[in-house]
Amino acid sequence: MSDPHKPIQASEEISEFEVLELALRELAIEKGLFSAEDHRRFSEWAESIGPSNGSKMVAKAWTDPEFKKRLLENGTEASKEVGIDWTDPTGTGTPSDYTFFYVLENTPQVHNVIVCTLCSCYPRPVLGMSPDWYRTPNYRRRMVRRPREVLAEFGLHFPSDVEVRVHDSNQKSRFMVMPMRPEGTDGWTEEQLEKIVTRDTMIGVALPSADWDASKAPSAGGGK
Amino acid sequence: MTATQGYEVILRTLKSGGERVGDLDDTDRKPDPWESAMQATCECLSWRGSWDNLERRHTEDELGETIYDQFPVHSRSAITTAHTFLDRGIVSQDELQEKMTQIRARLERS
Repeated sequence: MSDPHKPIQASEEISEFEVLELALRELAIEKGLFSAEDHRRFSEWAESIGPSNGSKMVAKAWTDPEFKKRLLENGTEASKEVGIDWTDPTGTGTPSDYTFFYVLENTPQVHNVIVCTLCSCYPRPVLGMSPDWYRTPNYRRRMVRRPREVLAEFGLHFPSDVEVRVHDSNQKSRFMVMPMRPEGTDGWTEEQLEKIVTRDTMIGVALPSADWDASKAPSAGGGK
Repeated sequence: MTATQGYEVILRTLKSGGERVGDLDDTDRKPDPWESAMQATCECLSWRGSWDNLERRHTEDELGETIYDQFPVHSRSAITTAHTFLDRGIVSQDELQEKMTQIRARLERS
């Protein structure tokens, strides 16, 4: 068995791009374009964003048909209603460049799932940092080729009459899935609904459930 | 205004950075940590008013498909930032090369 506490080995090769990045950053700081503290603060902030903005949008769409319509028609514009301005990235501290943002509605006939085959494009302003597995070649390569097989590995199985649509993100277009509202949530408030709209349900590798809130640790007695 | 040819100090990085051989081959690549740091640098430049993000995106597209089209797509932010710094006279080629040499020596020190 391997020792989980063995020291991390330093990378054998330092790439020129890694050197170039650090050089540009240090020169920008020396020239007064921004400070080292700016860089650290931005990185810390960007890495701390979670999927709550996405959850908020979905919960609002579930309870407000007019908002849902606007969100599906123009995700970039509708995002502003929950305080996210994709067109003014650093104005709201959004850790992403200008892109087109599309919200994909799941229906009983169509299930959507997102991926980025080329790199790790992800709707960070609404979902935060992408999970590790989203960035792996395994997920990126296989989701576009064998989506049902990959979804099954997440415990998600669909009958053959449900179409699975895979949306490949890129430099200009980001996607988010709007899952279907689950049974057992009638009369719930937006705040209650937000809690069950978890990150994975908006990527499309899970379905929301009235008895599952990702902020709580799974326990022997809870959940399915 | 962008130059019509690449800067030598940038073109030299291609040797060890990896040539662009086709985007689909990139599916096996896992993003490097320096890419997040580069993204933060770009955001800070926009945040502090030096270089708007959308303008940078357009420049990335323009340079990445022309004079630096042999570079891998994931390196575009870095090479475009370097190119623009040089174009604007924020740094000179010698200054950038010297800084890179210093940093490499620092990183290689055990």
